[in-house]
Parts: sequence; C-alpha cells; structure tokens
Amino acid sequence: MPAKGTFMSDELTIDGHTFGSRLILGTGRYATDAAMRSAVEASGAELVTVAVRLVDFDAPAGKADITEALPETTHLLPNTAGAQTARDAVRLARLARAGGLPAWVKLEVIPDERYLLPDPVGTLDAAEQLLSDGFTVLPYINADPVLATRLVDLGCHAVMPLGSPIGSGRGLKLRDSIRIIVEQSSVPVIVDAGLGAPSHAAEALELGADAVLVNTAIAVADDPTAMADAFRLAVLAGRHGFRAGLMEERDRATASSPAAGLVTNG
Amino acid sequence: MADAQHEEQTIRVNGRRQAAEIGLTVERLLERLEITGRYALVERNGSPVPRERFGTVELEPGDEVVIARPVAGG
Repeated sequence: MPAKGTFMSDELTIDGHTFGSRLILGTGRYATDAAMRSAVEASGAELVTVAVRLVDFDAPAGKADITEALPETTHLLPNTAGAQTARDAVRLARLARAGGLPAWVKLEVIPDERYLLPDPVGTLDAAEQLLSDGFTVLPYINADPVLATRLVDLGCHAVMPLGSPIGSGRGLKLRDSIRIIVEQSSVPVIVDAGLGAPSHAAEALELGADAVLVNTAIAVADDPTAMADAFRLAVLAGRHGFRAGLMEERDRATASSPAAGLVTNG
Repeated sequence: MADAQHEEQTIRVNGRRQAAEIGLTVERLLERLEITGRYALVERNGSPVPRERFGTVELEPGDEVVIARPVAGG
C-alpha cells in the first residue's frame, strides 16, 4: 500500500510498451557523443530519438552509428526528420525498420525550413500508410486538436504536438490548444519541440500532457548533464502536481490567513 | 565497348561508382566499405533490404544501393 502523497506505478504506456520515465530525449546537437550519453543517463529517459542519414564516405565520422554511443537498454525511436513529403517519410521509416531499428516512428513531414512546421496533410497520409504497414506511429504535429483527433482515429499510438517551433526554446506558446488535445486524446500526448527550460516541461505535465520530448534545451546547455537532471526533476514535479489536482485559478485574491481575530482590532 | 563493359561490372553506392563482382552480397559490400556496428540501413533499387537478407541478397551490375545509418537527431 503506497503512502498517501506518493504515486506508485505511474508509467507511460505507448502501444502496450511501458516506460518508467515521461521524459523522452532527442540525441541531436550535442558537442560530443559522450556528452549526449551522459545527458541521456542523467535524464532517466528510456526512449530516445535518432535520425537516419546516408553514410558519408568522405567524412571522418561519416560511417558512425549513433546508437553505439547509447546505453544498450535505451529504446530507440527513429524519426523521419528530413522528409518533406509523405513519400519521403514512409521511405525513411521502412529503411530504418529493414535495417533492424524498431518498427516505431516519430513521424515528421516538414516542408517548411524557416519555422520547421509540419505538413498536416502529408503527415495524415504517411500515418495511414505506416499504420497499415504495422508501424507504431507517433506523429509530430502542430497543436491542432482536429488533426490530433483524426490521427488518433486512424490508429496512431500517440500524438506529439509542438509547444513552439523546433529549437526555439519559447515554451508552451500553444498551451490552450494543447489543453484541448489532452482533453480529447485517448492516446498519450507528448509535447515535442520548443521546450527551452525545465519549467516549460513541468507546465506541459501539469496541464495533463503524458510526456515531453526535449533535445536542444539540454544539448546546448553549458552543462548538458545537469540540465538533463533538471528536466528529469521538472517532469516529475509537473506530473505529481497534475495528479495531486491543481487548484482552480481565480481572478481575485483569497486570503490564506484567517480574517477573524485580527490583533489590530483588539 | 570498353566503357559499356566497365559499366556492367559496377554498382552505385550512395551515388558513387563501386566495383561489384558477380555474387557480391550486401553483407560482403558492407564489410568491404567497413560499415560495422549495430545498424546498417540498406536500400537496393529503391526497396529496403531486410537485415536478415544481407547475407543472401546478391547485387547485380547497375544496381543503385543506398546505405544509411542512425545518426544523432531529435
């Protein structure tokens, strides 16, 4: 029997697979592979994303496989970053799976380089193809509740609305829309992109998101390992706060000390 | 004709011409290119090659091969 005030067995479940951590990490933009590994370990993340790129025979590290720098127990989530069309995304996902990576995909269809906003039509199209091909599909989307519902209805295993544009660090600019997605979704909602500070991650969990994916904020910190730990704590705090039941906001003040028995009236 | 013959004995790997003798398997090609480690991701003429078949799929002259790897990314 867990003590009151603690929350036991609070696992994240995606397509029947459970994870002890609600923090998912991206592996991009770290100064070194060792810094990335250290951050992954400090974050407690069990699921991390990787991208797929051509081997470059002319570059010194052009043949390197990033998964070799990760703890062996890490679950890999291949993304389709670089795909501008549904066709590109499906090709990347199938290539990754054929080579032995998990049949899970963080689906990204992004034709727009300036804001890196995902194409909803292409994403829906690719999701349909990948689902019928047996993939576990986690689509990266703008925070559009109608699109999220359409993707969940198709059979997607999670939805990944953005807080603000990738790498911008601006936090939950689309908070109200994310709240609607959380309210309506029957699968995990993972806020992905734009989280620049641990408080942003806590805020996402507080409003009911099931998990967050963080990359740049940790990778470019002065001390990525310490920042990974800070995000780990923020995710725990946000989740605990959500489960404990947040008070409702009010427009006016309500005193927390008794109004009666004021000494100044004595 | 010499050019045509040369063409027949090569494949393209990530756009680069590569000698390929009769019976060259994907596995052997990866070894030759020193692609070792956990994951090699291979496409042949636009179709992904399952890892279990690397040892048996034989490349043919003129094949277009794509070799990719997992890299750091969000």
